[in-house]
Formats: sequence, structure tokens, C-alpha cells
Amino acid sequence: MANLQNIRRRIKSVKNIQKITNAMDMIARSRFNAARDALLNNLPYVDKTRDIIRRLMTQMHGQEDKSPFIMTRKQMIEEEQHGNGKFLFLVIASDKGLAGAYSSNVFKEAHDTIEYDGSPDDSKDATEENFHKKNFDAIKDVREAPKTGQMRAARGHVSATGASRPKTGGSAPSTANLSVAKEYHDADYVDGIELITVGRKATSHFQQRGYNIIKHYHGISERPSYQYAKEIADLIVERFMSGEITDVTMIYTRFVSAISCVPDDVTLLPITTDDYVAENIATKEEYIYEPDAVSVLNDFLPRRLATRIYGAMLHAAASELSSRMNAMSNATDNAQELVGKLNLYYNKVRQAGITNEINEIVGGANALE
Amino acid sequence: MATIRLDIVSPDKGEIFSKDINMLIVRSTAGELGILPRHANLLTELLPHAMKIKMDGGENLVALGGGFMEVTPEKITVLADSAELPEDIDVERAQRAKQRAEERIAQYKQTTKETLIDIDRANRALARAKARLLVKNALMN
Repeated sequence: MANLQNIRRRIKSVKNIQKITNAMDMIARSRFNAARDALLNNLPYVDKTRDIIRRLMTQMHGQEDKSPFIMTRKQMIEEEQHGNGKFLFLVIASDKGLAGAYSSNVFKEAHDTIEYDGSPDDSKDATEENFHKKNFDAIKDVREAPKTGQMRAARGHVSATGASRPKTGGSAPSTANLSVAKEYHDADYVDGIELITVGRKATSHFQQRGYNIIKHYHGISERPSYQYAKEIADLIVERFMSGEITDVTMIYTRFVSAISCVPDDVTLLPITTDDYVAENIATKEEYIYEPDAVSVLNDFLPRRLATRIYGAMLHAAASELSSRMNAMSNATDNAQELVGKLNLYYNKVRQAGITNEINEIVGGANALE
Repeated sequence: MATIRLDIVSPDKGEIFSKDINMLIVRSTAGELGILPRHANLLTELLPHAMKIKMDGGENLVALGGGFMEVTPEKITVLADSAELPEDIDVERAQRAKQRAEERIAQYKQTTKETLIDIDRANRALARAKARLLVKNALMN
């Protein structure tokens, strides 16, 4: 019976897929163990660096002119509103798919952050270092009279989408050339954004939407090395120092446990001293800098940037692999279930065929009598 | 004897050293520094060298590949680019690295300016290798 053969073929193909997903599960599992070890080894360093930064920033409050990397919130708002610098976003996602919703969760968080318009934050990830949205809210308050031409610098201009989009008659470019992002959001706003992407998925996602990707890194998402983090940090510092960018935000997935990975956004530059002062007022102590404050801070803060990016890459790698592990073991389980169902169906059809044949024989024999 | 906590961490090996010590002697970009308990707050960059740790009446060496050091009255934190205890050092590898770095520096000195050799990197590599060998008591010259 043709039907029987079809079912047999399907069972075979599902079993083959199951073998593949099972193999991918095991590969992800072993790589995940390595990625988790790397992350756990990195944690003490990152924690210690953060402690030092806290103490330093508390102490540096009021002396923001000593380093270009640190500012008060007021200065930062001033800079973002009236400066010509762009916003830079570093998005860390995966190279390959088949990791469940891992990449799309990062993209969702990225869009939430990039196109943040002041609506209440529904994600539950607001860590104490998530200053990006705070900054926006602060800008919003003083954004009474935005200067035309510099409106893009005022974040959240995008929120008013069509309504506030400058529609100067005639000068509108042909819609064919408008990218998706520019069609849906404010063209000026999109022009004021630069992206650095890690992972093929992130690059293609944001390229399709017309964002300006200034640099992308492929093939390093599963096994990040410090060298690339350093490269990214150097690029960011160079652009920040030259004044091309005023604000750097990183979007990555924080690894909480093997079954929980949370997309997170973190402001990398500038470091706003106000946020640290509020945390521990008690520890205001003088520091000695060898050889002097300016050169130590200007060496230390870029280094801190690189280690932070490296830490985030390790978090992202562990998250990616654990997501893939979960996705693949689910796929294997589902395949198993499907094979069971198909087997049952196959037997039913086979039995129906046999019953049918017996009926025919009995019917034939009865007819002969 | 008064003690001060010393923590050495590196980005890829985690916590390498965490003990109460009597004195730490390091080489910073500004020169040699000796840190005793209840030292004033200090932040400085460290060069690749062999750190000297005085504790329990003895002296220990740790090979440092550069980094930063923060001192508070109760605690010293060394953020190392890399750091190795004597037992973790591969002498042969360090010897080879030292040789390579020396060759490169010699090459750099022979050629005129426009070369592809990164002299800073070579110097740092040499300092790192020397620190490792020093810690391991295997430095010839």
C-alpha cells in the first residue's frame, strides 16, 4: 500500500532529524561547559574592576574634567543635546541560528533600547548599571525647546514617528531608496546611530533594517577572545575621543543559569559619576595616582571598557550555547514523540489493510458457497 | 605583624592569589613601590615584572604580565593581564618566548626606522618572559 510506504519514509526522515538534533545538543553541551568555565573564571576580575570603578567614580565626582571618559549627567545631557556626536550601539548576538529565541530576544532588547521613547520599561532587567534609559528620561525633562537640525541628538525624537517627521515638501528622497528603518522611524534619528555587531545574525538583522553598521565581527560568538574585545574597545575609544560618538551602549545576553538568559543593555561610555555617588556616599577618600590622575585614568578606563566587552562576550557565548542546548534537546524530544505517533499510525494503517484483506477473502469464500 | 589582604585576579584565570600578606613590592610605570598594611589609597599601572610578596616570614614571587593595582588601607587588588604562580610556569615556553623577543629586538636595532616590528610589543614580551624565568629561578643573564 502506497500510504504505508509514505509513513515509513516519514518515520525514517524524522529519525534522521532526531539524530542530527541529538548530535547538535551534545556538541552544544560540551562547548557550553567550556564557555561556562571561561565565564566563571572571568567573573572575579570583572567584579573587582567594578568595585574599583565604584570607589574611583565616587572620588572623581566633581573632577570630571580630569578625563574625557567621565562626565556628570548634566554634562552628558548637554553633550547629547547640542553636540554633533552619534550614538553607538554594540550588539552581541550569535553567528548561527538553531538556538531557540536567543537572537530574536537580543534584537528585541536592542530595538527597545535604540528606539527607546520614554515608555515604561517592561523588561525586568534594570540593573544598577543600566543608565541608558535613565539618561533618556533625564534628557526628556530638559528637552523643552529642541533646536532644529540637532533634533536627532535628542533621543526619543523617534517616538513621535510620522507626526514629527520633518516633511519638507519636494526634498523627500524617493521612497525606493528609503530603508526599512528610515521608513518606520525618523530618518534623522537613524542617521545619528552607528552599530557594531558581533555575530552574523546580528549583522544581517540590522543591515536589512537599514542601520549603519560600522564594523562587524563574525565567527567569534561561541568562543570569544580578549583580542577582539580589545579591538572593539580601541575602535570605540578612538571614535569617542575624536567626538564622533557621544554615547556607547552595549546590548548582550546576561547568563544567569543554564535555563535563564536575560537580554541586557549597559551604558559603556561616558561614565556618569552621579550614578556612583548616589550608591555610597560614605567612601569619599582621596586617591594617590602614580604617576598622575590623568594618565592613570586614561589608561585604566579604556582597559575597563575592553574587559567589560570581553565579559559580555563570555556571557553571550554561554547564553547562546545554553539556548542551543535547550532548543536542541527540545527538538530531540519532539522528534521522539512524533516518531511514536507515526509508528502508532503506521500500525493502524497496516492493521486496517490486513483486516480489509481478510474481509475480502471471507467475502469471496462466502460468495462461493 | 600587621597584614594586608592581597587579591590577584586575571580575566581568564579568575582569582590567582588571595591571602593576607605583610608587604608587596611591585614595579609601576612610575617606579618600584613597596606596599605595607594601612597604605593610603592608590591607583597605578603595573609593568610586566616579578612581584615580590612578603608573607609568613618568607618571600614569594609572582610573574605579572602587566596590569593595574588598586590599594586601600585594608586591601590590595591587582588586576593582572596575566599572572602566574611559580608552579604554573612553563620554563621552556618562557625561554622560547624570551629568545624570540630578543631576536626581534636585535632585528629592530639593525634595521632603520621603517620596519614592521612592533618594538613596544617585543619589549613587553621580553619583560614578561624574564619575569616568568625570574620567578622560576631560571634566568641566566
